[in-house]
Amino acid sequence: MSFSSADASLSRRQLLKVATALGLSTAALGLRPAWASPNGISNVYPHGAVQGRDIALAVRRETLNIAGRKALPITLNGTSPGPLIRLREGDDASLKVANLLDEDTSIHWHGLILPPEMDGVPGISFAGIEPGQTFTARFPVTQNGTYWYHSHSGLQEQLGHAGPLIIDAAEPEPFSYDREHVLLLTDWTFEEPESVFRHLKVAEGYYNYQERTIADFFNDVAKNGLADTVAQRSMWEQMRMSSRDIADVTGSTYTYLLNGHASIDNWTALFKSGEKLRLRVINGSAMSYFDVRIPGLKMTVIAADGQPVQPVPVDEFRIAVAETYDVLVEPETDRAYTIFAESMDRSGYVRGTLAPRLGMVAPIPERRRIADRGMEAMAGHGGMDHSAMAGMNDSGMSGMDHSGMQGMDHSNMQGMDHSAMAGMDHSNMQGAMPAGGLLPVGAAQPGSRYDQPGIGIDPGKRRVLTYRDLKAYSPWPDRRPPGRELELQLTGNMERYMWSFDGKKFSEVDGPILFEHGERLRLIFFNTTMMEHPIHLHGMWMELENGAGELIPRKHTLNAKPGERVSALVSADAPGSWAFHCHLLYHMDAGMFRVVKVA
Amino acid sequence: MRQLLLAITLGLTATAALAGAGHDGSEQNISEAEIDRTIEVTAGDLWFKPNDLVIAPGETVKFVIENLGQIEHEFVIGAADAQKEHREMMLDMASGDGRHHDMSAGHHSAGNNVMPAVTVASGETRTLVWTAPDTANNDLIYACNIAGHFEGGMHGELKVKD
Repeated sequence: MSFSSADASLSRRQLLKVATALGLSTAALGLRPAWASPNGISNVYPHGAVQGRDIALAVRRETLNIAGRKALPITLNGTSPGPLIRLREGDDASLKVANLLDEDTSIHWHGLILPPEMDGVPGISFAGIEPGQTFTARFPVTQNGTYWYHSHSGLQEQLGHAGPLIIDAAEPEPFSYDREHVLLLTDWTFEEPESVFRHLKVAEGYYNYQERTIADFFNDVAKNGLADTVAQRSMWEQMRMSSRDIADVTGSTYTYLLNGHASIDNWTALFKSGEKLRLRVINGSAMSYFDVRIPGLKMTVIAADGQPVQPVPVDEFRIAVAETYDVLVEPETDRAYTIFAESMDRSGYVRGTLAPRLGMVAPIPERRRIADRGMEAMAGHGGMDHSAMAGMNDSGMSGMDHSGMQGMDHSNMQGMDHSAMAGMDHSNMQGAMPAGGLLPVGAAQPGSRYDQPGIGIDPGKRRVLTYRDLKAYSPWPDRRPPGRELELQLTGNMERYMWSFDGKKFSEVDGPILFEHGERLRLIFFNTTMMEHPIHLHGMWMELENGAGELIPRKHTLNAKPGERVSALVSADAPGSWAFHCHLLYHMDAGMFRVVKVA
Repeated sequence: MRQLLLAITLGLTATAALAGAGHDGSEQNISEAEIDRTIEVTAGDLWFKPNDLVIAPGETVKFVIENLGQIEHEFVIGAADAQKEHREMMLDMASGDGRHHDMSAGHHSAGNNVMPAVTVASGETRTLVWTAPDTANNDLIYACNIAGHFEGGMHGELKVKD
């Protein structure tokens, strides 16, 4: 191996040295990440973390075993997903990345507030890392919590180029626990990512084996009558979508992994009787949303996207791509529990086990059936002919949310905090929002559905986290109302696999979205598509206006459900150019990406 | 902290014998003279200090609870299982937006027994006077039962013993 830069010549031996110095045993190289140790990290016995002020990461492509099969992932320090990076709030981070691939690479530190040139997005404020080169990201660590990192080059993230990033707090956190485990969810495919993307381009339903069948048709006819069924069918066809398009890449190609382990590996997190555990759950998937639960245990959500929230006891939570949630659990009895993460489209799952001893298992819950989109997402389709709905059977509309429709239904306002609306002209609420009438800070937008966990979840069955539950402990520093609103439509053409903002792919836009340095603005996403989109803004927090008034939570990634309008307040306090995109990897690659320039 | 513990210890030896018997826990109209000891408790997000308490049988204690946290907390004394039952009931009752427990103190009943409780807003200080049972008891805890707060760490043992 020889490299053009002396800085970059990391030999295998040096790499081993580095790895050893970082606390990785050499035996761990080439295996699954050391941080996925079943012992987790207790306050007394730290295990398997890569930490300190000088961290070195070597990126290479090598053969590993995944789910019992030979695979060729991208590894970091010999593991895929990569090592856990553990930083300390208040330190200066130094992360040296050596590119041992034969193509450019990069690492984006997802959710971290840092200078734009350290953000790791090639082509924006950083050139990328050429083969054989190193890049050292140096930045002050100004926050704490659960985050992650991943490649921002091409489709490399799909090859396992990702890992957890934990920042220990400088001050005590608003909760206590005895031991912690990281649960990193990813979606692995044995296909090359370029081939997955090609399949999506050629035939959008390529991975969708759950299309409606002729048997479904006759069932519908029996239930709804022939005319209604035909009307409904033709409506779906006119909209160029299939009611079962919940995920566009599915379990038909994906093997879902927990800490790099497939269900058959039964990755196990250990606890001692009486311990309280903090689980740091990260969705590092390319394309997959998960519904996470641990049957038999109540989970108390204590942080979202690394930021503390007032505790919410739940039985299940949905985690969008790129989000993180921290939960506390207290297994009281000496038994095993199944950690169950079911993909949103129900095409697969990954399970692990929480147990006092290795080798224990608990039952795997019965899998839920795929849900129909029904009418819930129709709201976003402006061109929809309402007259076509006349003959529809109302039973088919149960999932429908009127909120996003032009003639707004006031029933939507029930979930709103009316106390926050003092001084507001209610006459403005008729129909669509007028241009001049800004909603009060923190109020939920008409068309939002923050009190709904999303498709395929029956909230009556168990307590499921919703965005409405998320509440900060105290207001964020910038309490100015927004000076303006910027509304973006999330747009797509499913059958042609085109994804964009405001109907323009990244390759078609003239320039960046401009934020004035120092301004406070309201970002609104109106999802006009049939799919969920996790929208990620680099460099600045988005304060999700979920109706919590002054205590709105702040996040780095916001999920917009089909037909939903989601708003967030942003303080444009980070000069420079930043990426802003849908975090579904193939959507981003297809063009659902913009540059935000703060100047 | 150390001073507080010292105060508790001193208080125990000095006043244990004076404990008035027969007070129902919820009774608030006890005169200052009947109070054997004052215990300062601080509540934060999401913790209590001290972490546990030892109180003599029959002792009448005035708890002074200061909320240093940014959100509301409560201080409830009761058997661990009764408090657990209460939390579960609160969760079951809550639906939709009503998830956040905002019951005023005094509604914390477990069966026929009312659990002594006080709710303290952020930045405020409230008191609760309580007389320990006449016999040693290891079942009692103090807790904040607002949804998720107990799980976050807001509980401690309250041992009744000589």
